[in-house]
Amino acid sequence: MQSSQSQTQWQLSGLTRRARGLLGASVALGSGAAILFVWQLSLLAHLVDDLTFQGQPLTSVESDFLKVIAFSAGFLVLQWLADMAGTEAGLRISASVQQDGLKHLFRAGPVGSATQPTGQLVTTLTEATTALEPYFAQYIPRAAMMVVLPLFILARVFALDGWSFVVLACTGPLVPLFMALVGYSAQSVMDRQWVQLVLMGSSFMDYLKGLRTVRLFAQTQNSIKAMTAQTEAHRLATLSVMRIAFLTSAVLEFFASLSIALVAVIFGARLLSGTADFRSAFLVLLLAPEYFMPLRAFSASYHARQNANAAAKRLADLFTLPAYAAARYGTEQPKHAGSVEALSCHMLSAGYATGKTEQINCVTATFYKGQLSVLVGESGAGKTTLLRAVLGFLPLSSDTCAAFDQNGQSIALQNCRMAWVPQRPLLVFGTIAENLRLAAPHASLADLHHVAEQADILPFIQSLPHGFETQVGERGSSLSGGQLKRLALARALLGKPDILCVDEPTAHLNSESTASITQTLSRCARDCIVIAATHQDTLISHADQVLYVSQGHVTSFRERAVA
Amino acid sequence: MTLFRAFFTLSRAAQRQLAFGAILACLAALANFGLLFLSGWLLAGAACAGLAGLAAQQAFNMVLPATGVRFFAMMRILARYGERLVTHDGALRIIGQLRVACYGRIAPQAPAILHAQRGGDLLARFVTDTDTAGQYYTDVLIPFIRACVCGIFFIAITAIFSFHCAITLAVALLLCIVIAGAIKARCATLSDRLSATQSRIQSELADTITAIGESLSLGASFHQQSVIMQCQAELSATKRHLAALENGASSLIAFCATLTALCILFFAVKDFQAHLLTLPEVPMLVLGGLAAFDVMSPLPTAQKTLAQVHRAFDRLEDACFSNTTAKSTSNDKAFSDYSSLQFENICFRYSGQEQDIFHHATLCVKQGERVAITGPSGCGKSSLISMLFGFYPLQSGRILLGGSDVHTRTPEDLAQVISVAGQDFHLFNGTVRDNLLFANPASTEEDMVAALHTVQLTDFLATAPNGLDSFVGDEGLQLSGGQAKRLSIAQALLRKTPWIILDEPTEGLDATTEQHLLEQLIAARPDATLLCMTHRAAVLPFMTRVLRIQDDAFCPSEEKKP
Repeated sequence: MQSSQSQTQWQLSGLTRRARGLLGASVALGSGAAILFVWQLSLLAHLVDDLTFQGQPLTSVESDFLKVIAFSAGFLVLQWLADMAGTEAGLRISASVQQDGLKHLFRAGPVGSATQPTGQLVTTLTEATTALEPYFAQYIPRAAMMVVLPLFILARVFALDGWSFVVLACTGPLVPLFMALVGYSAQSVMDRQWVQLVLMGSSFMDYLKGLRTVRLFAQTQNSIKAMTAQTEAHRLATLSVMRIAFLTSAVLEFFASLSIALVAVIFGARLLSGTADFRSAFLVLLLAPEYFMPLRAFSASYHARQNANAAAKRLADLFTLPAYAAARYGTEQPKHAGSVEALSCHMLSAGYATGKTEQINCVTATFYKGQLSVLVGESGAGKTTLLRAVLGFLPLSSDTCAAFDQNGQSIALQNCRMAWVPQRPLLVFGTIAENLRLAAPHASLADLHHVAEQADILPFIQSLPHGFETQVGERGSSLSGGQLKRLALARALLGKPDILCVDEPTAHLNSESTASITQTLSRCARDCIVIAATHQDTLISHADQVLYVSQGHVTSFRERAVA
Repeated sequence: MTLFRAFFTLSRAAQRQLAFGAILACLAALANFGLLFLSGWLLAGAACAGLAGLAAQQAFNMVLPATGVRFFAMMRILARYGERLVTHDGALRIIGQLRVACYGRIAPQAPAILHAQRGGDLLARFVTDTDTAGQYYTDVLIPFIRACVCGIFFIAITAIFSFHCAITLAVALLLCIVIAGAIKARCATLSDRLSATQSRIQSELADTITAIGESLSLGASFHQQSVIMQCQAELSATKRHLAALENGASSLIAFCATLTALCILFFAVKDFQAHLLTLPEVPMLVLGGLAAFDVMSPLPTAQKTLAQVHRAFDRLEDACFSNTTAKSTSNDKAFSDYSSLQFENICFRYSGQEQDIFHHATLCVKQGERVAITGPSGCGKSSLISMLFGFYPLQSGRILLGGSDVHTRTPEDLAQVISVAGQDFHLFNGTVRDNLLFANPASTEEDMVAALHTVQLTDFLATAPNGLDSFVGDEGLQLSGGQAKRLSIAQALLRKTPWIILDEPTEGLDATTEQHLLEQLIAARPDATLLCMTHRAAVLPFMTRVLRIQDDAFCPSEEKKP
């Protein structure tokens, strides 16, 4: 699952391969069940005939009663096993696809995955993978059964009666033919519906995230109206699919009902004229509905296929997200070599595939351990892009960025410990301690204290009634911007980074906090390379190296004279 | 159960649709029973007549039963198609109404309600739970109604012919309902576990994906993956368990069907031997017994769905209807007097916090003033907005706009007078134009261009690929942080309200842009009353008064401008 994956792998046929054994077992068990089932019906027909037309006494057929019961039990046990094998196949495939999807998102990184809204990615990973389950658990086994059981029944009927065989053999193949015809048109309508569902999913997330803004702009009623319109559109889209999709089952229903009626009427006439026997007639009547039953079960799971197809398409979309971060963040835990002394960029260029105009071109710069480096420039000049390039969230051509240890030996960038404090840091749901421990799951409380102190947030945490065990709320919503930033800085420090990238560390902070963060960053710079993008004069004046970024170029340097 | 009530107080048209769907479902089941029942009799009757000789053959009336068979066949086709279409339409209407109802309930309680819950989780609740709740009608109500109504009908028909067979069928059908009932408790437990795990996965994924950059750089991605994999294994185990239970119950019901057919055969043959039944009636009753179980086989699935539906309703109730104090969101009572804004002796803290953010703080701003509010980070500059709009209740004190208490009105009323460009602004996934129109649907193209010019986004507008119709991306991610911020200020300006509150308007801007923005902002709206939370010194000269938040209260700043 490492390297580039072909598109077909995310199509349903490719996914089927992941649980071939289980699906095979399901079909084999189902076929066994089908044989027992036809047998059971034959026995029942014989029994009814024996007791009525043949006039046998009840006492003489006791063993036949038991046989019917035994076959029925056998059939049901096999059927249960077949169903469970199918279920297992569905579960395994959906779980493995979800894992691969998540892995791919990590390969894409924050920049690569930004083209799809978070809500949409979450629905793809949960709902689209869940939509695969019924396809493998029901659709495929039922599709196989649709061939197997009718063939058994046809063979049985062929042995019994020519006319009935003709009726069933003619109506049977017509059903899938008509269903396929109707199914094609259903598919295109279905695709539209799926997009709408996904749009709805992410638009709700969007409205939800923006509810504060919605209310501050007095647009609450309008947004409810917009939601109403969207659900109505969703209903109509779905209904337009169903009107056609249900037509497929109506076709099936038509042939099923028709052939039962035909068998009954034709046999009735022949029985009346004495050219047929009741035993066969009754058995054919028992078998006729079962002949169409697998088709009915199949058509009930038909939109499982539609859903799965659409889901597979969405998954393929997810897997086409560019793997921007894959070069740096592989599938294995990095092996940390020596400490990084210097990071040098040589003719470094990076940018975004679409949309964004922020690019950086031919940046050449070196960042040293023990120095606080600051990127300055107008907003939109490319400071954040440069940080992202250094962090490995954007693809770089080889040799444009390299790290060296104290002996001047180069260290693979994958093995450098990076840390990032973005402009709007995100905390995950949980306690302060859980958020800090993201970087180092086994960090002790003493470690947490230490980094919190370094980031100048310890007094605040200690002032909280639950200290490190305080819940941070949705994305740290119970914290102020400055507290959030310092917490994110503490989290970054806990990982003992080689290279610390900080985007606007002093934004939203007053002069006291700015001074203390500046102090903190200067202190951090002793043990690692610190690169900060900022507009803040205090921070700039404390920097050891200042890079002016303008329109994607580093235009000038200023190094502080050694004091 | 407010939601259950809401469920059934749908519009009259929808109610009629729901009833119609149930009737069609019963008709389809009855047609199926009739088809097999009559076919059985037709075959056996014809066979009897055929064996009894020519006279009997000619006396046997084929036409009537043959027509009956065709009639039932046609009825089955039409009723099944109609049933599916009508019931699905009903379910979709229910889902739509539930969705709007939930959003409508969440909105007036936002953003406070969002603090207790996770965004990913709410999304899961909304989409999955409303979907599941909508299935209540198609997958629970209809199967049970059909089983009861048709079951009674089948037993009655059988009773016309044979009392013993009818009793057998009644016992067997009851047994099926008992089997379906027996798995109820287990299904409920498993469904609870299932939905809990599902929403956990959803939240974990939402968290992981939003913080993907942090996770990668912190080396936390492997840990995150293993957490999600663990959830997933749990989820699969629960699903497997549920499937085993459901399939097992279905198999038991199918076994019941065979046993019942044999019992009916036994009793029918006895009655036949006692001359209580004619010969053709024996296979007819056997076939009828088998056909009767068609309405029973969906019951285990219905039971499983019922458990999930209950859980979904509970959670929706929990998420949307737990707090009934929410005020309406209509904005028809705009403030007529907005000559001053007064904070009178207010104490404020978020629930769960120990310390007041504001402690007996007082502030009065007159219309036409431009006031800067400064203070250390975390002192409550941003909380001022939440407090003013009543998103969170005050501990004590009151806030008056032109003499009337703002908290007796809704945030929407207040927003008619005051525009806010906050720090936690949100841009919707759409175009620049969409976002500007969202702020003020009545804006013209010129208004929008002018507002963008004021906030120094003219250059951006010129270079953006599609101008006003450029997409801003999810949460405005296609824009730089500074651009997004300025777009939010443009939104606030477009609303043309007499009061404007800006929270750190020039954060992240370079000095030149900052200067231009402030100059043009004041030139564009010289009449506006400005309240500006900032810590940038460059902003202060543009203000008429500077206040500082100190010791949880407002103090005049020492470095006050003349």
